[in-house]
Amino acid sequence: MKRRDFLKSVGLAGLGTMTAARWSMAVAEDGAKIFTMAHPAGFPDLSPATSFSNDGAIMANVYESLTRYIPGQGDQPAKVEPLLAEKWDVSPDGLTWTFHLRQGVKFHDGGDLTADAVKQSIEWTVKTAGGASFIWSPVSAIAAPDAATVVFTLSSPQPLDMIAASGFAAWIVSPTVLDKDNAWFNAGNGSGTGPYKMERYEPGQRCILTKNDGYWGKAPFFDKAVFAVVEDPVLLQSMIEGGDADWTYSLPYDNLEGLKAKPELTVVANASFQTLFGMYNVKKAPLDNLKVRQALSLAFPYDDVISSGTAGLGSRAKGVIPAGIWGHDEAAPIPKTDLVAAKALLAEAGVTGADLTMTFATGDNVESVAGELWKANLATLGINLTLQPMAWEAQWQLAKSDPAAAQDIFVMYWWPTYVTPYDYLFNLFHSEAAPNYNLGYYSNPDFDKQIDDAAALSGTDRTKAEAMFIEAQRKVITDAAAVFMLDLPNVHVIRSDLKGYVDNPAYGHVVFVSELSK
Amino acid sequence: MALARYLLRRLVLSVFVVLGVTMLVFTVAQVVPSDPAALYAGPRPTAALIAKARETLHLDAPLPERFLTFAHAMATADFGVSYKSRRAISQDLAVYLPATLELAIFSTGLALLIGIPSGVIAAARRGGLLDRLGGLSSIVAVAMPTFFLAMLLQGVFCQWLGLLPLSGRIGKEFSVIDPVPFVTGFMLIDTALAARFDAFRDAMAHLILPGLTLAAYPAGVAMRLTRSAMIEILERRHILAARALGLSEARILFGHALPNAVGPALTVIGLSFAYALTGAVLVEIVFAWPGLGRYVSEAILSKDFPVIAAAALVVTLCYVAMNLILDMVQALVDPRVALT
Repeated sequence: MKRRDFLKSVGLAGLGTMTAARWSMAVAEDGAKIFTMAHPAGFPDLSPATSFSNDGAIMANVYESLTRYIPGQGDQPAKVEPLLAEKWDVSPDGLTWTFHLRQGVKFHDGGDLTADAVKQSIEWTVKTAGGASFIWSPVSAIAAPDAATVVFTLSSPQPLDMIAASGFAAWIVSPTVLDKDNAWFNAGNGSGTGPYKMERYEPGQRCILTKNDGYWGKAPFFDKAVFAVVEDPVLLQSMIEGGDADWTYSLPYDNLEGLKAKPELTVVANASFQTLFGMYNVKKAPLDNLKVRQALSLAFPYDDVISSGTAGLGSRAKGVIPAGIWGHDEAAPIPKTDLVAAKALLAEAGVTGADLTMTFATGDNVESVAGELWKANLATLGINLTLQPMAWEAQWQLAKSDPAAAQDIFVMYWWPTYVTPYDYLFNLFHSEAAPNYNLGYYSNPDFDKQIDDAAALSGTDRTKAEAMFIEAQRKVITDAAAVFMLDLPNVHVIRSDLKGYVDNPAYGHVVFVSELSK
Repeated sequence: MALARYLLRRLVLSVFVVLGVTMLVFTVAQVVPSDPAALYAGPRPTAALIAKARETLHLDAPLPERFLTFAHAMATADFGVSYKSRRAISQDLAVYLPATLELAIFSTGLALLIGIPSGVIAAARRGGLLDRLGGLSSIVAVAMPTFFLAMLLQGVFCQWLGLLPLSGRIGKEFSVIDPVPFVTGFMLIDTALAARFDAFRDAMAHLILPGLTLAAYPAGVAMRLTRSAMIEILERRHILAARALGLSEARILFGHALPNAVGPALTVIGLSFAYALTGAVLVEIVFAWPGLGRYVSEAILSKDFPVIAAAALVVTLCYVAMNLILDMVQALVDPRVALT
């Protein structure tokens, strides 16, 4: 054989084997029903006690909580739905909550879901004291009077049905794994009651879940759920377009129009529970002056930021609490962009010019667009806004230092750990001795009392609590403690042949895989 | 004997290099403004959780005590846990390091196989079509940003021709449906150990595009360096003598000229191997390759110092080892170089 012929043969053989490999893959995929999610970020912590990040997407399929939050939509009010608890009652003083457990539920390790297991699981989460375990802080004692009843005693009245529906730290875990540490869970182990079981976790690559054949609810359609970690947005898009992924998010807003035009893809956009805030430093001149803060809020280009930053998919923030959460105020007295009125207010305040610094997260395009457009508007009023992108850790450190030396405007998103207006209002605006998340340093004792009282009522008289939360929210708006930039949309791109997908913004970027089919 | 003495001397020197790096990383961790306790306490921690984390991590202990703890951890390769994920760092390295090494070794092999022979051929056909084509290709390979080359290769070989996989280390069939057991973390070795030759072929196919992308720069530089060194060597008298003796062209080029010309190219390729360990982050992102670069860049962004320190140590060791190997290979190949 001549050398040239030999090389030709080798080349052809190479091509042949590669083609064969791809063909055999497609055949294998037909056999097992696999659902693949392409995630733009990794899963840092798979311990159900301390998980408090993107890993919620995995947790929600392996573990279950006592209840689940269903957001309000249109005329339908928000509600809390039974999950591992079939029903629950609360004492008139709001201090004793009794949950009646679903019968016949088994953990992945074969053990029964009992009241004692629930008690041990929550006590373990509290004792681990990491992640979002603070949600259980109102609970002073848990009792299991019989196998199907769990009684929680609270130190102050709180909406425990909602706390139990949290997407973090509310997972019920089998008693057999409560002696394990984070490293064990993070090696891809676990035991919950969910429709899927942990099969394998390969850091930086994927987490694989297998169908739980003994699941108490509707049997899942997909045999396996794969959570692939893909950080490159171009690759994310290629995967969803090529059918290598069934679900993804975090694609650039500008590409969505093109994706909508493809019949094999569906772009699902709805409101999220994430609001973008610009917290004014009320401890530092000139923003210690109410009129200056009001002028700045009037100069914010709300509609332009929504159209340029989110391709029109975001929505106007109506104060602190986004739509879909009880306590949302559709008629909130929010300002509209009005540069003339802003100029007049600045004149009233005697401010003719100022240099302000706005800190925001490096690489966040929406925050960056908001800053740029606002800066342009403020320049016409003689205010120079310096945009300072920072890594979150550095931005937060600066804000937690001396308010007099800190930023003028702190930009960040907020989303609730569990769905209550108190989560937003307490963390962002309640007085703090040392700043933690109230990074505008707003302090108003009347406001503090009102939201504390409303929180105490929210377990027993939610209607009254809601009215109080709305009133308190209006105080924050009137005091211009922050500029409420926009409510971020949740945008997910899915394959069109996927059936049953509904986004639940209470569980950010979580897919309940057992509800889906093809 | 001379070799043993040489190795011993280099190893002693390496200890100082590693110690220096350890001290440097510790100093940087103290100087850079960050709060490890806040990171350890998780996203959105309460003030109480941060205080508890500070206690757990002994962050209030005196500086010398903390340095000793740190140095002990580094010396015993017990890197502790990542502040961010609380995963054992050694557990993470066991996954990320083999993935990176496999890609770096593969791409280095490609760079050697492409860069050096093409440099030799270009020098032999100086001024000819092959030389010009080689020159142009090497400029393109060196000048093209890696992420762009990566996307270009993906566009052509995955999306257009459909010949090679888009990303990852191995296809769904061998990672999800019927997984290949994890033994060494080197996909080619694990698939071979499991006697899964279809999986081996698939892993090899997954290596080609990221390997080519990473190999482009060192191959381009090696080609230029080999070519110019070869041109100089080919005009020497011993080559003339070899020609006069009637030796074949191939033997003259590869047997007599190349050993004298290959030194600089080997150095470049060797250093680019070490660079690929953490510097290939863009290639790793584009190909969703679970490598050390991605792992470290995430740690740097969140100031996760235990991870940064562990990675710095591992990479330093790899650099030291690579330099040593390079020196030895050069001595082996080039008769003019001696180990002293």
